[in-house]
Amino acid sequence: MKSMPHEFAIGGVYFPPLLIAGIFAVIAALLTARLLDRVRLSKHFFYPPLVLLSLMIVYTVFIGTFIIKT
Amino acid sequence: MVLTRKTKESLKTALAMTIAYGIALHMDWDKPYWAGFAVAMVSLATIGQSMNKAALRMLGTFLAILVAFVLIALFAQQRWLFILFLSVWLGFCTYMMGGAKNQYVWHVSGFVCTIVAIDAGPDAVNAFTIATLRAQETALGILVYSLVSIFLWPTSSGAQLGVAVAKLASTQHRLFALYLDLLHGKTDAGEAQPHRADEVAARSRFDLLLAAAVTDDAEVGELRRQWRRYQRLATELSETLERWRECFGEVQALDLRGLLPDFAACGAELDTRLAQVERMLTDQAPERRPVAVELRLDRSRLGSLSHFQKAALTVARTHLERLESLTRDLYDCVSGIKGFEQVAIPAATRRAPAATFVLDRDRAAGVVRQMVTVWLAWLALIYIDGLPSGTAIVMMTAPIGMALATMPQVRVAQLFVPATVGVLVGAVPYIFVMPQLSSFVGLGLLIFGVTFALCYLFAAPQQMLGRALGLALFITIAGIDNDQTYSFLSVANTALMFALLFLLLSMTAHIPVSSRPEKAFVRLIGRFFRSCEYLTANMGRDSQQPESRLDVRRRAFHRHEISTLPGKLAAWGKFIDPKALPGTSPEQIQALVAALQALARCMQELLGQRDRPQAQVLVEALSADIRAWRLEVKEGLRQLSQEPAAGLREAFRSRLAEIMDHLEKRIMETLDKTPTGQFGERDGENFYRLLGAYRSVSEALVDCAGNAGAIDWTRWQEERFA
Repeated sequence: MKSMPHEFAIGGVYFPPLLIAGIFAVIAALLTARLLDRVRLSKHFFYPPLVLLSLMIVYTVFIGTFIIKT
Repeated sequence: MVLTRKTKESLKTALAMTIAYGIALHMDWDKPYWAGFAVAMVSLATIGQSMNKAALRMLGTFLAILVAFVLIALFAQQRWLFILFLSVWLGFCTYMMGGAKNQYVWHVSGFVCTIVAIDAGPDAVNAFTIATLRAQETALGILVYSLVSIFLWPTSSGAQLGVAVAKLASTQHRLFALYLDLLHGKTDAGEAQPHRADEVAARSRFDLLLAAAVTDDAEVGELRRQWRRYQRLATELSETLERWRECFGEVQALDLRGLLPDFAACGAELDTRLAQVERMLTDQAPERRPVAVELRLDRSRLGSLSHFQKAALTVARTHLERLESLTRDLYDCVSGIKGFEQVAIPAATRRAPAATFVLDRDRAAGVVRQMVTVWLAWLALIYIDGLPSGTAIVMMTAPIGMALATMPQVRVAQLFVPATVGVLVGAVPYIFVMPQLSSFVGLGLLIFGVTFALCYLFAAPQQMLGRALGLALFITIAGIDNDQTYSFLSVANTALMFALLFLLLSMTAHIPVSSRPEKAFVRLIGRFFRSCEYLTANMGRDSQQPESRLDVRRRAFHRHEISTLPGKLAAWGKFIDPKALPGTSPEQIQALVAALQALARCMQELLGQRDRPQAQVLVEALSADIRAWRLEVKEGLRQLSQEPAAGLREAFRSRLAEIMDHLEKRIMETLDKTPTGQFGERDGENFYRLLGAYRSVSEALVDCAGNAGAIDWTRWQEERFA
């Protein structure tokens, strides 16, 4: 049976799962960007700000689908 | 108990905030926090500074309300036209905010117009009430703060101005003495660098305090014309000192004492005058009046000099003569201000005709960024259902977006910490304390306590941003009103709205151009060299041919570029992270910026000298050599604009030296052939000044190429995330 999206209750306040996935995605994307900067791999990208945005979306979908299951 | 200044200022702001809230709540005005905002924003160190800012805020509010009414009247039912014209007005205000005057008026005009228009737009019937409410609450906040600052520990700017002007005079005196030592080889150029920075800082502090003291100090207000004259003279003295220093390289090798027999006496006299100015500014009577000095030239010794040496000597002498006249005027001006002598105030000079409008590309880029941000916020508001805080995101886009558009060096990430602290500072009293309160006594104490704590903790001038954001978020989140409601959702929505706003601003930070410091630096340096290249190429234009309007505009544009870009490069240079760019030190960046500033000054000097009349015989004889020089310099500038690392210092120096040697020979031949009387003294002076200017440009360009070549530009041009 397909699992239902469920909200997160923090201190009695309900948070939508997409928001939580989004927050983790932003953190993961920033960490990835920092890592790529450190090993000088970011020089191969044409436009890093767009890559960062794409990473955020990819991570949101990934975390939302496989970890939080929105 | 003696209270510190920081405590007193914090108490004043906290008291004014509490009274403003008390009155607004007592009058049952809607949105009483607008009065609180006015207090938070106009509270500055002295009465004069606060009054000036308050006047600008009020003026900006009236202008904003007028524009908001027009927008609502014309486009209340057409949301796309409404936001189009609102964003155009915001763009205009952002452009004007980047100028030298009235920045705060334009800032307030932009964001207040957005607040009133967005607040009243969907509710056009109440538009007038909302606008008048904004105006009266802003006026209330300003009035309350002004009265508190006048009656409670009033701090006038006059005393601070006295200290600042004495410091300025002392740094200028020290700088002159240092330059004199530098000319005599008694010190090295590096030693003067910190003193130059001190002088710039002292001058900007003096400018700031003078504007405030004219408002809050009756004595300064009465003598404002003389003080402004002093300001002009001090600025000109500083510029002339720099121009004088830049020609040292060429005159240091000459026997100045022999060539200018009065040189030592002149140096000593100028030093004494600056010392007397310093003395008078500390309220001590001068010990002696300026003595007339004349810089006579020993013409019998001139014959042994090359033409370039004569040119360098002429330029140095011209600057020294200007310093002589400036120090005399400074002495008279200060003597008049301090009442030691009755000096006739020179009649106000007629205003220069308005210069041609020149578009500033960086300010225009800020406009694009701001307009895109507003449009994205607006589209999000319309197309995203249940956007946190609704219209507030568009309203907040205006003040923060405008500030960031005019200060593109500031990274959005730098706002995260103050905003988070602000949200916490607002949320804790709102959730845990305010629901327990039942009267204004308790509420007033809470407002007083939080405001005092924020002002006290963020009292330093460099913490202004943190203080403003903290107070703004406390006021926004607390949402104090007579019909008070409490909802955790409003705190969560406000926090989320700021997160979305920062995301939006981070995205638009790369529109239309990247705001990464090293990228911006490379872009600006390319523009600087391209403008120099254009102006050098333009020197070859036939002066007899009339210029088209387009050519006049292009020339004005490139002159504007070379006069403003070194300052912008200096500002960006401070934000370059040396850790992210190994191989480049902050000193290298500073040296490059100093070299670019020198080149800009030399180019301006050369363009100015070219407008002076020249002896036709020399113009004709030397045109081929001058053309060769121009082409070589143009090619060098072209290479530097494409690749800053292309500067092969020594190769470039030798090529230019070759041209200069050839020029020297041609001058000699031409002058030998010229019949006596055809080449007058005035012609000679103009010619040597022009020759000196050519030489200075060559030297400055070689210096720029050398400094640019020392930087690892490959790392700068690589893409990075942060």
